Amino acid sequence: MKPTQTLRLLTPARISGLALLFCVLSIGLASRGFAAEQTEMTTSPWAIQVEPVQADEGQLPPDFSMAIYEDLIAQLTKSEKFQQVFRSGDKEAEGVPNLLILHMTLQNFERGNQTTRAVTTVAGATKVQVHLKVATRDGNPVVEKDVQGTVRIFGENLKATFALAKDIATTLRNASLPAPAKGAGQ
Amino acid sequence: MPTVCNKTRSCISVLLPLLFLLGAGLLAQTDQTTPSTEAAGVRAMHVLGLEGVKRNIHGTLTAGSGGLDFTAGGAHGTVAIASIQDLFTAQDSHQVGGKVLTVAKMGVPYGGGRVISLFSHEKLDSLTVEYRDANGGLHGVVFTMPLGQATVLKKQLVDLGAHASIPVASQPQKQDGDAKQ
Repeated sequence: MKPTQTLRLLTPARISGLALLFCVLSIGLASRGFAAEQTEMTTSPWAIQVEPVQADEGQLPPDFSMAIYEDLIAQLTKSEKFQQVFRSGDKEAEGVPNLLILHMTLQNFERGNQTTRAVTTVAGATKVQVHLKVATRDGNPVVEKDVQGTVRIFGENLKATFALAKDIATTLRNASLPAPAKGAGQ
Repeated sequence: MPTVCNKTRSCISVLLPLLFLLGAGLLAQTDQTTPSTEAAGVRAMHVLGLEGVKRNIHGTLTAGSGGLDFTAGGAHGTVAIASIQDLFTAQDSHQVGGKVLTVAKMGVPYGGGRVISLFSHEKLDSLTVEYRDANGGLHGVVFTMPLGQATVLKKQLVDLGAHASIPVASQPQKQDGDAKQ
């Protein structure tokens, strides 16, 4: 192809299209780099083990208990705040240094009704409130807070567990965790 | 008078498709609440917990010697009988029609959507399975299925050797809200 032919192919419309593509790619790469940098900044040296919600018998339905537990594991893994997220009873966690253990104690549970919510829009909310405690292996509390998950208008009752898990993950992502002491929690 | 006619026409044109949707939803509800006699499996929805299976996906749940098996399209998940720590059944109710009907109900004038909500709900069973993986890690899986199916499935699993802290009731009790059996 001759140089004159190449110049003819570069019409103003094509040039502007290429410029737009270049801009989009640059923004994409820049935001990706920023996100990676931010992740590096927020990842703590700790690993965490999640324990299921502690509640008196009959206070919290098992499907809600398991939904909170599974949603929380998913949210904590997604947050990338911790080196590893372990499930309750995982033997691999035993040998991990710098392990935090997340305990939840049920404080309040109100089971609403989706139909009541849809009809009235003000009644029938499902609420679940837990006391969150994140502690080292030797029991030193690092984070303690009451967290609540609610579904008010739209969605099924189990959506409250997702809201709760998301709130807990946000709390932990924003929490300033102490630097692990040498040999701490081993 | 033409204004009144136009208003009536527009109301009818909004309400007719909604009534059709409601009717379809109720028909689907009637089909779902009829207990299946097939031994092959139960039509169920995977709410959460199975690894490698998307949330809120419909499929077939089967209790067999290999364990509790869930198949939905290309996705497949199994919980071995020996790994099951506990089984719970419960009842709940939910609105049928999903997001489509929810949005449609919002568009109905004079609060008609709320009236539709009164009739567009169904009761369903939920089955919660607690199990441990090879490392001892605790997992929880929640399924929902047509009314009366969860107890049948729980009984099948207990007969196959799964552990359940609450024994299977001979007659499933129907209660409003949560009903642990």
